[in-house]
Amino acid sequence: MLKAHIVKKRREMKVDVSLELRRGDALGLFGASGAGKSTVLACIAGIDEPDDGFVNLGNLQLFPPSLPLHRRPLGYLTQEPGLFPHLTVAENVRFGISKAAAADGEQNEWIETLRDRLHLGPLWSAPASRISGGQARRVSLARMLARKPPLVLLDEPFAGLDRRLVRELIEDLIYWSQTMGFSMIAVDHQAEILKRLCPRQAIVLEHGTIVQQGPWDELYGAPATPLLRSLLAPI
Amino acid sequence: MPPRYTDDGTRMKMDHRWIARAGATLFAFALLYPFTALFARIGAWQWGGDIRGPAVSSIRVSLLLTSCAMLIIVAVGTPVAAYIAHCRIRERLLWQAVLLIPILLPPLALGILLSLAFGPYGAVGTFLERFGIEMTNSATAFVSTQVYVGMGYYVLGAVAAFDAVPQTLQKQAALLGLTPWRVFVRVTLPLSRLGLAVALSIAWVRAFGEFGAVVITAYYPSGMPVQLWVNLQSFGLPAVMPLLVVFLAVALPLPWLVHVLAQRRRHA
Repeated sequence: MLKAHIVKKRREMKVDVSLELRRGDALGLFGASGAGKSTVLACIAGIDEPDDGFVNLGNLQLFPPSLPLHRRPLGYLTQEPGLFPHLTVAENVRFGISKAAAADGEQNEWIETLRDRLHLGPLWSAPASRISGGQARRVSLARMLARKPPLVLLDEPFAGLDRRLVRELIEDLIYWSQTMGFSMIAVDHQAEILKRLCPRQAIVLEHGTIVQQGPWDELYGAPATPLLRSLLAPI
Repeated sequence: MPPRYTDDGTRMKMDHRWIARAGATLFAFALLYPFTALFARIGAWQWGGDIRGPAVSSIRVSLLLTSCAMLIIVAVGTPVAAYIAHCRIRERLLWQAVLLIPILLPPLALGILLSLAFGPYGAVGTFLERFGIEMTNSATAFVSTQVYVGMGYYVLGAVAAFDAVPQTLQKQAALLGLTPWRVFVRVTLPLSRLGLAVALSIAWVRAFGEFGAVVITAYYPSGMPVQLWVNLQSFGLPAVMPLLVVFLAVALPLPWLVHVLAQRRRHA
């Protein structure tokens, strides 16, 4: 489904990563801070532009040339919830829904399902600027899922949240990925989060290149580098 | 001085707000001090028929034509500002220099340049005259001068307002499927409205009070600043003061209302 080769020069290193993802798969991008994980994700999302390589999503060529952001059928969740502060929670969730789709009964049912499942009912009419950080993450998740994207990119969306909230959000994401069948690439520097979200496969980056890839058992059993061994070791 | 404590033993925080408020009040007094001259002994204020008639006409001219100028400034300046806000730094600096030039010029010099460039001896002026458009001493001249005077202020302010909208939000909106135009309408504009309101009110105030350039390009139809000058020349200070009060009453409400609306929406 997703095939990408991303080359991006950074001041201190060159990111050069190839990856492939099948429909419904979940892939974890793991590595220390500054390894180039977020750069890879930003290049796939279109927030950043690769210097070289290609990004294909199904039959759609995302790069090169760089496809405009609004034509990319993907969801992108980052550390910042990025809610629109001048709108209510409901308006934020419906933000990416076209007027024609909004009139559709099925679409409305879908929004209501998201609202109920993510416990957004009590906040529904509240201004997005006045909700807590944890609530904002749930709203941004609902907003992303409202458009039913075939590919979801997660760039450390749980940073700064307490463990209970992280667990809830992970459960939600797993539930929705199984229900909706979207593919997912998640980036985090906490192995336990990635292992839960993407239990089958992971890619480890160091200084912009892949140093190991495979199932988590392999990574834990025989880490390819001392840095990876240190990152996977219990605190 | 030793720290003071409340009954339950917690240390009292000194409230410094009154010092800030006193400073702000002093600042306001200093800023408004020149207006005490309204009470200067200059003789009885004159507002007779020969003064009132032209004054009322000048109020009409100023309000109507400055409003037209503002419409043009907003319609042309907003997309230009949006473009500049997305430019890379070198191109942006070039645009900002272009915008600063008309603002930097002494108004009188700008008026002279405008009348030469758009007057009957300039290429554009000759061209427009063929279509019956007079570019000196006409409503068109008045409006176009105000546009030249106010445009730079509005666009520079609008660029700053657009810059203040986080890029991440605009990109997020695009990733949610909105075209650049819809991102602008649904995210950039609403989030920059306070800054745009400030830019518009500064352009309004600047254009409404413009004298130096307008007196060269459009002595007729006389707006309020030119009428103040005419009153001073013809009747002296007693005829200036009442028109000055009217000027404040007419010029202030619109920019102030724009601020009120923008603030209310912001805190709604």
